[in-house]
Formats: sequence, C-alpha cells, structure tokens
Amino acid sequence: MNNPIIKVSQLAKSYGRHKVLNNISFEINKGETVALIGQNGAGKTTLFSLLCGYIKADSGSMQLLGQQPGSQTLFGKVSALPQDAQLDPAFSIGEQLSFYGQLQGLSARAARAETERVLALVDLAAHYHTKAGALSHGMRKRACMAQAFIGSPALILLDEPTAGLDPANALHIRELISDLSQHASFLISSHNIFELERLCNKVFYLQDGQLQQHHAQPSESAAHLSLQLATGADAAAVDSSEVCQQLRQLKGVTEVTAGRNHEYQLSYQPQVVDDFDIRLLQCLAANGWQYKQLSKGKSLEQQLFASKKAAIVE
Amino acid sequence: MSITLLLRQIRLFSQVELSRLWLTRRGLMTLAATAVVWFFLLRYAIAPATEILQEPNFQKSLTAAFGMLGLHQLLNWPAPELTLYWMLSLILLPFLSLVFTANQLSSDAARGTLRFISLRSSRTAIVLGRFCGQLIVQLCLILLSLAATLAISAWRQGSISWQAIEAALLISCHLLIVLMPFTALMTVFSAWARSSRLALSLAIVSLGVVFGLLSWLIYHQPGAAFLLEYMPGAQIWQLIPAQGWQSLQLAALPLAQTAVLLLIAQQILSRRAL
Repeated sequence: MNNPIIKVSQLAKSYGRHKVLNNISFEINKGETVALIGQNGAGKTTLFSLLCGYIKADSGSMQLLGQQPGSQTLFGKVSALPQDAQLDPAFSIGEQLSFYGQLQGLSARAARAETERVLALVDLAAHYHTKAGALSHGMRKRACMAQAFIGSPALILLDEPTAGLDPANALHIRELISDLSQHASFLISSHNIFELERLCNKVFYLQDGQLQQHHAQPSESAAHLSLQLATGADAAAVDSSEVCQQLRQLKGVTEVTAGRNHEYQLSYQPQVVDDFDIRLLQCLAANGWQYKQLSKGKSLEQQLFASKKAAIVE
Repeated sequence: MSITLLLRQIRLFSQVELSRLWLTRRGLMTLAATAVVWFFLLRYAIAPATEILQEPNFQKSLTAAFGMLGLHQLLNWPAPELTLYWMLSLILLPFLSLVFTANQLSSDAARGTLRFISLRSSRTAIVLGRFCGQLIVQLCLILLSLAATLAISAWRQGSISWQAIEAALLISCHLLIVLMPFTALMTVFSAWARSSRLALSLAIVSLGVVFGLLSWLIYHQPGAAFLLEYMPGAQIWQLIPAQGWQSLQLAALPLAQTAVLLLIAQQILSRRAL
C-alpha cells in the first residue's frame, strides 16, 4: 500500500501573467528518492518554495506528512537546502547549526552534539568555530547542506545540492545522500542528470508548468546499449560514419545513433541474438577501436532529451 | 502553536541577539558607537550642566519659567546627573532606537537565512523573538549608560545613594517602555523592506509624512488634535516632569502601540515570500 509523504493536488502558481506551475499533481511515497528535472525557469525552485512554505500557492493543495507546509508539526521532520540561501556570516557555522537544533527542540548540549555529527557528515568537523563569512563557496554550500540533516528529518528537499561543488565533494555529497536515503525520503532538484540517475528511483520532469513522471521501460532498456569509444594518442583514429556502418552490420541491430564525443546508442533485438555484447566487443577489437564506456540501457539523459540532443545517422 | 514552544523559541532568538551584541563585530561596533555618544554627552553636556543645575538662581528661574508645566519636578531627582540623563535619553534614544533596530529581519530575509529558520520556527515566533532580543539589547545599552552616569555622580559627590540607584532603575524601566513602539515600528519595516537601510528610510519618511498629514489636518480641523496623542512617543512630554513608580501608568499607550505594530509585523512576515 502506498504511503504518500508528499501529496500535491492541482497546484498552481503564477508570477504576474506567467504561469509557472499549472495545476500539477503528484505523490511521493515514504522511502522514495525522487528527482525533479526541468530547464532553467521551469519552476523547480518555485515548487520547492511552495513545499517548504516560503511562498503561497494560487490554488491547489499540498500535504507533507499529512500537514500543510509551514505547519508546526513539520518542524524538525521536514528539512531543506534552499537554492542560494546563506547562513549568517557574523556567526560561526557551529553556533548557527546548534541554534537551529535548539529551535527544533534539542537541548543545548544535544544540539551541539548533533551539529558536530552533521558537520562531520559534510567533512566540516574542523570548522565548527569558523564564521560562515570566512568559508569558501563550496564549504558554505556543505554547511548549508549540513543544516538539512540536523535531527531525524523524514523528508529532505534539496535544491541543486551539488551546484558549485568540486567533483570530489560532489561525489561525497552523492554518497551521503545515497546513505541517508535509507532513512529519509528525498526530493532532489538538479541539472546534473547523471547525478540524479544514480541517486533517484523516480523522476519528475517539469516543463511548461506541467509535471510529467518519467517511467523507465525495462523491456526497452534491455534492448539498448550506450557505447563511448576512446580517442586520443593511444587509440586508433575513429570515423563516426564508419563506426555506425560497422555496428549496423552486427546481427540483431535495429538502429545506431551517434552523439558527440564518439558516443553511440545501439538498439537491438535481444531475442535474435543473446550474446550481443560479446559480438559488439569482438567488432570493436577487430577494427582496433578501444571503448571508454559501455553500459546497458539508455541513460536518463537519452531517455529524456534524446529527440533534441542526438542526430540520427542513417 | 503551543505557548511553551513559542516562549522557548522567543528566548532562543533573544539569546542570539544578545550574542550578536557581545560576540560579533557588528555588535561590538554598536557598543563602541554607544560608548562614544555617551562619553561626549557625559563629558561635555551632563558633567558641566550638573554644576549649573545645582545653582539656586538657576533652580529659581526654572521653577518660575516652567512651574506651570511641572518641569521644576526635574530638580527632584536624587542626582542632577540623572536629571540630565533622563531629559537627554528621552529625546535621543527613540531616534537611536530606529537606527540600532533597523536590521531585525531584512538582512536575514535578503540572505535567505530566514528560509532555514522558518522550517524550524513559526513566523510569529521569529517576529516576537527578534523584537524581544532587540529590547534586551537596548536594555543592556541603557543600563551601561546609566551605570556610567551614576559613576560620574558618585565621583562628584564621593558616594552614591540608594535613592539614586532606585531612580536609575525607574529610568531604565521608563526608557524601555518608551523604546518599545519605536522598536516595534522597525520590526514592521524590517519585515517589509529588503535591507536595513531601506527599512530605516521608510520609517523616517513614514513618521514624517504622518506628522505632516496630522499637522495639516489639525490646522484645518483643530478638533483632530487628539490624534497626536496616539503617535509613538506622544507620552514623552508627559514623562519629562514625571517622578516615582506611579508614573508607569503612562505605559498603557506605548504598550498598546507596540502590540498593534507587532501584529502588523507578524501579518507582513506571514504573507511575505521568503
């Protein structure tokens, strides 16, 4: 039985004449990690702001854990990393997070212990006494993220959690979210499709004020391969049209699509040939082509934006 | 929202404001500015004027000139330094209060810090907490300046009387009540404006415009003069000659003004997009 932790019905929000959200409805169940994708200005941050109670909806209803956004019952149960929000530069991050912990109902001592725990989660344990204004952009972002983990929130809303982070810290944050998703539900907005693909088990696509839920199609995924060939001094010269021609000659292949950077999407009939992967590798070896990456199924990016991004090579 | 949680959160917000005064650069700058202002007032205004205030001829002249207004009551304070402190602070502190309390909410709202806070606290608690915090900060500044005034008095007289300490406590209570509506006014404007500078400008312009409109109205309709009695600080002129704890009965108007202004601030912040 579904247990919705977020229930949104016919939600609408406009800024002037611009309708940002147009009667959207969706549910997120307990334990799910959900991605929110959309172009700039699609309304992702507006949706986050509505769910957090920062702004009021024009119409429609929202319930988080059965309560209206902003309800006292949600204090400490729903947390968020709002986009562009900053801590007070005059105080240390430890003082501020402890204060937030106390606002959530923790004692001073428990709030300090909790602050040390969440700062350690984002690798800022040594910066308890550092003022927010003295931190680098990436460190400030991680400190802001740490505040979202104070206590035991059941629902965590993260708006662009890894934007502005270096690759190592972005990876660390992804791993952290992955670990914490065992205990809390997440709604994550990001432009990093690869990040969302790894973290989330449901995808919402926001476009023109409408929300579409993206469903992965297992049968279709099983008949696709994503291939990227290696290039450079050690690799043989690669001609995309020749690669496509060779790949199309493989038994069972129905379509070959070439993208940029020697990326190829292959569609094939698994019922025709059951060792397609091996035949593909043999084909690459025979032509002296080295592969950089080979994965089954279409990437989330391909599934969502294939029609716009890729050029079909006949 | 439960009253226990509300009071707890108000206490927490007030503690943060106290920390901001004593432990941050901005707070220490406020303390330094206050110290400089009061140093000059004590050194070049209060101390020299104390001698004049004690001269029998001056006292006779004051009683003759302002006896009808009750200003001769000023001479009844247990120390002349307190008389001068009382007069100066009643006139100066409301203006200083507008400046010092202009940044109750606006910076946090512009920076987005209120988004973190509003997930853990009601907007009512934020408004009341910041207001109470600012009042406590101002009480600290009043007590410090009063302590300096008493120190000057003690240095001049060689001792300090219990009556002077009691009078200082009465003055601090009165001043806190006088500052309440001005602080609440800045709560309103800081809940509305995007910066403390804008909040201060709006407050000054609004007060000026309202006084101007009232003056125009009273000029044409003299019967409307009673409206001036509802303006923030209207009781100050009655307070100047006031003596004793019974003068606290004049607190009803500023307390009512404060309640109304805080209600407006709460409504503004509740409707404001964070």
